[in-house]
Order: sequence, then structure tokens, then C-alpha cells
Amino acid sequence: MAVRTIDVRERVMARNDELAAVVRQRLRDAGVPAFNLVSSPGSGKTSLLERTLETLGEELGIAVVTGDVQTQNDADRLARRTERLVQAVVTGGACHLDAAQVTAALDAIDLEQTRLLFVENVGNLVCPASWDLGEVAKIVVLSVTEGEDKPLKYPKMFRMARYAVLNKIDLLPHLDFDLDQAVAFARQVNPELRFFFTSARTGEGLDEWYRFLRAEARAPALR
Amino acid sequence: MHELSLALEVCRIAELNAAPRPARDVRTVAVEVGEDAGIELENFRFCLEALLSGAPFAGARAELVSLPGTDLRVSYLEVDDGRPDD
Ligand SMILES: Nc1nc2c(ncn2[C@@H]2O[C@H](COP(=O)(O)OP(=O)(O)OP(=O)(O)O)[C@@H](O)[C@H]2O)c(=O)[nH]1
Ligand SMILES: [Mg+2]
Repeated sequence: MAVRTIDVRERVMARNDELAAVVRQRLRDAGVPAFNLVSSPGSGKTSLLERTLETLGEELGIAVVTGDVQTQNDADRLARRTERLVQAVVTGGACHLDAAQVTAALDAIDLEQTRLLFVENVGNLVCPASWDLGEVAKIVVLSVTEGEDKPLKYPKMFRMARYAVLNKIDLLPHLDFDLDQAVAFARQVNPELRFFFTSARTGEGLDEWYRFLRAEARAPALR
Repeated sequence: MHELSLALEVCRIAELNAAPRPARDVRTVAVEVGEDAGIELENFRFCLEALLSGAPFAGARAELVSLPGTDLRVSYLEVDDGRPDD
């Protein structure tokens, strides 16, 4: 049979980027900033959100979409801290969330009653960096048990993020983790990064985090 | 690690662009892989070949070219057009 060549020239991320642009517009119209929380597994994304929902969930009308490879554990944990809807996305093996999943999750969320949206991505410092979800900014969580050099080892994630949360600082007395070094490494790959230093265990440092979120939820016009 | 999802998306694009010919008539899927696209080339090749060897495809070949840049792009397909050889 005759073989025909078909020109395609299509970017593989094009569909995700289009969907992400629609999500972004939809959230902007609704005045809801969205933050995409990324980190390696276990840095404390869910713990930080548990605290945040308890303190600000009602005040700021926070909605959460949380992605997991295999379970709904995180969604169940978060649902205990808020009356509001927590949308679980089980990726079934995929190492990241994509914009199609966020689009579907948004359909279940009452954006009129929402002023701030968190997307907890799958724990992974590589893949989620490549998928735009329509967020205002990525927030990378790094816990002090992971070593100072993670920003150098996973530069794309730290470059793509606008904020970094250095979590588990309650453990610092037990470790030889060098906080200044970690910050210096992160600034080396992304000089613009803004830091928060927190313990989701003791609550240390969360006041500044809450101040930041209040300001973000208040000022959608600035975005 | 996300090579498999990217390979799946390549297959979706290939199937769409092959239409109205069915995916089983696709002979070659040519892909440009940016050197800074964050993709492990051999892992990606493995995933794509595995997907192209099974339904709805029927053993299409993956033709991968590494290029400077950050894009991953399906460049062209070769498809049986269903007509006998001229
Ligand atoms: N000591 C201490 N432990 C923490 C802190 N934050 C989280 N943890 C613990 O770290 C473990 C993992 O926390 P999670 O909140 O589940 O982390 P995660 O980033 O959501 O994990 P994945 O969703 O699986 O990627 C749990 O045992 C938490 O109790 C902290 O600030 N200090
Ligand atoms: Mg979690």
C-alpha cells in the first residue's frame, strides 16, 4: 500500500497548555487565585494545608484539589479540617496532575463561594514542574530533612516556583541542615524566590504564611 | 518519570492526525525532542515504542530526533493511505 506523509508539527504540551489557559481565565474571572503546591513526597504539603484550612479555611473560603497516585488519604485528611469541598484526584500511576484533571475538579467546586484555591500536586520534584495547571504560582515545599542541595538537584522545580516553604523547622535542632545554605542554593537557581520558614507540627512561622494568604485572597485585582 | 504520559499524548496526537485512516495504518510517528525538554530520551523511546506496538496502533515505528530547545513536538506521520501501490 502507498504510504503518505502527514505534516503534524504539534507541540505535545499544547493541549495541556490550552486547558491550563482556560482554567487560568476561569479562575481570574471568579477572582480566585490558585496555588500549585509541589514537593518531594512527604515534605508536608498536606500537613501545611491541614493547618491552613483550620485557621483560614472559612475566613478565606479555601477550596482544595489534591492529587495522589493511588489513594484518597490526603483528601480524607483535609476533609476533616473543613466543611468545604475537598476534591480528590487519583492519578492512577501518573507522577503529576495535569490541567484536564484540574478542569474536571473545578466543575465540582462552587467558585462563587471560594476566594482561594490550593492544588496539592503529586509528591515529586521533577514531573509536576512541566505541567501548567492554570495556577497563579507554584509553591515548592522543601523540608529540612531532605538536604540543602535539593534546589541544585531539581533546578527546574525551584525555577518554576515563585514561593518556597522551608518546612519542618522544628526538627532543625536534631539535624545538621544548614538553612542559610539551602536558601543560598535556591536563590542560585531562582533569585526571585520568596521564602517562608514553617513547622506544620508546632505552627512556628505560620503567621507570616497566613498574612501572605490573606493578602493574596484580598487582592485579586493585582494579578 | 513523566515520559509515559508524554508518550500517551504523542499517541493521541498521532491518532487524531492520522484520521480518517485508523491508527493501525500509522507506520511512523516522528517526534522532535528538545534537549532541554526535561525528557529522558531512551525512557521516552521505550514508552512510545511500547504504546505503538499495541492497539489501536499496530507496530508503528517511533522516529525520535533530539534537537536544541525545550519543546517536544510531533513533527510528522507516515500513514498507509489505503490505496494499492502505484
Ligand atoms: N516534625 C515535623 N513533621 C512534619 C511537619 N510537617 C509534616 N510533618 C510530617 O511529615 C510526614 C509527611 O507529611 P505530609 O503532610 O503527609 O506530606 P506531603 O507532602 O503531603 O506528602 P505526599 O502528599 O505523600 O507527597 C507526616 O508524618 C507529617 O506528620 C513539620 O513541620 N514537622
Ligand atoms: Mg500530601
